[in-house]
Amino acid sequence: MLILKKIFQIRGDETITLASNQNAESNSTKGSSVIHHHDILIIGGGLTGLRAALQISDADLDVVVISKVHPLRSHSVAAQGGMNASLGNIPGEDGSIDSWETHAYDTVKGSDYLADQNAVSIMCREAPTTVLELEHMGMVWSRLDNGKIAQRPFGGAGFPRTCYAADRTGHNALNTLYEHVMDCNIPIYEEFFVTSLVHDNGRCVGCTAIEIMTGRVHGFVAKAILMATGGFGRIFSKSTNALINNGDGQAIALRAGVPLKDMEFIQFHPTTLYGTNILMSEGARGEGGILVNRDGERFMKHYAPKSIDLAPRDVVARAIEMEIAEGRGYEGGYVHLDLRHLGADKIMERLPGIRQIAIDFAGVDPIIDPIPIQPGQHYSMGGIDADINGVTLLTGFYAAGECACISVHGANRLGGNSILETVVFGRLIADKIIEDISNIPKPEVELVENAVQEIDTRIEQILERTGGKHLFIIIDSMKHTMFNKFGIFRDSQRMKGGLSEIKKLQDQVSQVSINNKDRAVNQALIRLLELENMLLLAEVVAYGAINREESRGSHTRTDYPKRDDKRFLNHTITLIQDGKINISNKPVNLGMFELKERVY
Amino acid sequence: MKLKVYRYYEGMVSPRYDIFEFEPYSGMTVLNALFQFQEQFDDSLAFRYSCRGAVCGTCAMLINKIPRLACRTQITSLINEENKISLSTYPAIEETVPWDPEDEVLVEPLPHLPVIKDLIVNTSKFFRDYLFVEPVLKPSDPAPEKERLMEPAAVKELEQYTNCILCAACFGACPINGGNPKYLGPAALAKLYRFYIDPRERKRKSRLKQADIPYGWWACEFRGNCRLVCPKNVPPNTAIAKARVELTKNNKSR
Repeated sequence: MLILKKIFQIRGDETITLASNQNAESNSTKGSSVIHHHDILIIGGGLTGLRAALQISDADLDVVVISKVHPLRSHSVAAQGGMNASLGNIPGEDGSIDSWETHAYDTVKGSDYLADQNAVSIMCREAPTTVLELEHMGMVWSRLDNGKIAQRPFGGAGFPRTCYAADRTGHNALNTLYEHVMDCNIPIYEEFFVTSLVHDNGRCVGCTAIEIMTGRVHGFVAKAILMATGGFGRIFSKSTNALINNGDGQAIALRAGVPLKDMEFIQFHPTTLYGTNILMSEGARGEGGILVNRDGERFMKHYAPKSIDLAPRDVVARAIEMEIAEGRGYEGGYVHLDLRHLGADKIMERLPGIRQIAIDFAGVDPIIDPIPIQPGQHYSMGGIDADINGVTLLTGFYAAGECACISVHGANRLGGNSILETVVFGRLIADKIIEDISNIPKPEVELVENAVQEIDTRIEQILERTGGKHLFIIIDSMKHTMFNKFGIFRDSQRMKGGLSEIKKLQDQVSQVSINNKDRAVNQALIRLLELENMLLLAEVVAYGAINREESRGSHTRTDYPKRDDKRFLNHTITLIQDGKINISNKPVNLGMFELKERVY
Repeated sequence: MKLKVYRYYEGMVSPRYDIFEFEPYSGMTVLNALFQFQEQFDDSLAFRYSCRGAVCGTCAMLINKIPRLACRTQITSLINEENKISLSTYPAIEETVPWDPEDEVLVEPLPHLPVIKDLIVNTSKFFRDYLFVEPVLKPSDPAPEKERLMEPAAVKELEQYTNCILCAACFGACPINGGNPKYLGPAALAKLYRFYIDPRERKRKSRLKQADIPYGWWACEFRGNCRLVCPKNVPPNTAIAKARVELTKNNKSR
């Protein structure tokens, strides 16, 4: 007999109690809704959100984290290869020592000159202290024989610069930050799905969220909100991303009138496991792994004579796609990532995680056999348009991490720079919020109360719907359309066809009904709301990609194969105006490195 | 192939089991099958998921009477059950409903935690125990300018425990956890041991003392299920055994 029948008070309730204790007098219940008051809300419990929360808590301010999953289930946990920082623990080939300037140069070149050079400088300058800060907090890094933090070569980098914890860097970093967040008693609203930003006269005053376990809609009144919800990889069928990466933060921001930036730049990681598209870390090639086609040829030498397998991701992904298209891949569309020559010891020590994944999910032990891999969506370079302080068009609304585009990655991100960005800007943007918060007046509660009512009514209407197309068929259609029409190689005709398919799906989604009519634990409802977010972003990606008539970094147009600095050395800015997508542009911050052709 | 799934919502007198027929395909996992169930049969089925790659620890549940990650469990591996592990038996894995292991995959919520709905359990108790051990580095000195140096060998030992993804599979597999709700459990104790062996930690000995209580280190009966079900090969039982040896030594030398 199962001994699990009794229902205890659910976790969400307990978290609220925790939050309420700190603000016992400031929370109120109106009708079925609950209103919470906090100075600062952080939406998202990954590396960015947790690092920011710690910084704000250290400043003795009232901060809470809202997350759709338990923070340790955030996608940051899956980051494998490492975090770039010019610690210089391993000298370069000629004995030279790494510097933040070299790191910045590699990053800007990797970005195909679309990254904002002032933002890149900040990130690279702050990188060494960021790695050390995590070490001091207790994060376990892999070590060299001399006891210093180990570093490995990564794609597009001039030095062995990537600090790592075997191939579980994100896991170790996230756990360490979570440990400190718990130690500081920072309240977390777990399994709350944020549904809208509340704003008034260009100022953000709070948000609404569904408590997934009860289905209740909550209102949050806040002076400042930091969006840190990660990427939107799941709009594509083949993606390394967690199933929760739906771009909720970007979509919610866009609806609130905040522009998105450079959304057409989607990173396709060259080495994702054939079948499931789970990431096989770039660290595998950093440690000496090679790519081989069906003829047994190490084909990367034709595409990047100098860097070969360690060219940046956009270059390698295109090369693999070409090999497959020209018939030198294996049936089904994959090539091999061969690690066998590294030997069992090195694989077990440096790449134990991906070895286990290959065994569990593809039945392949990389010590004995090569790993079948293909490119898959991996990272969203674009996001909420934010400046180097995380400031957006909406006063009191900030963004950082993958959901933002402060533009440190431009048109192509280098491996090892993403979790670096999360922790650096998590801290720096928290500092900016701390600086700003004393000047922000306490918002009125009415607007949030009204917004809660609106969401509540909307949910009611969705649950009342009957008929319509099947939700899950629309999800699948969107993913395939995006991967097939807005994948590694793009052209106008295909993309325009893709855009009209996306618009058709948008029409269908407004009619779709779900069978589950409960409020509590209604995952179908959450998935429907996620789909609405994803379809909005799909449309934005489509417009951006069609509009950008050039090839730059990850955005490869077969009809415009060259980079066109005259017309397109600028950021794409997307806004919703009068219910329609509006595209404009914004200059790139240059000045540190001069424009060059990108050769590897 | 059939998926036999535990269904329960608040107010039900007793749980029921739903049966869903599906065609297994190469590489199909239990998580994939649950999604098919939700998409084709009943969209009210509730289960947690996130990474689908066995790294985030969200989807631990009882599959064919063994606590494991749904995303990591291949359907074909269950049909033949080639890697079947035999657990030391405990009440929560005794028969609840007849099922045919040749043709059915039985999916139930992770034991020892209260069910919220279907396969979703309330993990509060699990995380309370985790917090009880104060899982945060308490270093011996103010932060130096550079990194604190560490031997690669020390990292290797630490990694065995930092690899824990807090999925609670061990919690659901531990007979002691099932019988004694006060017991801290394998994951929390392994976490505590991780801080005890961290060379950067200030008062390492007092770390062991934190669980030198009847429902801490001493409650373990070394049934070994924790180690067997861990998807990341973390050995809580080894940590507990070593901690006990240390404590016994310390107590004697006093």
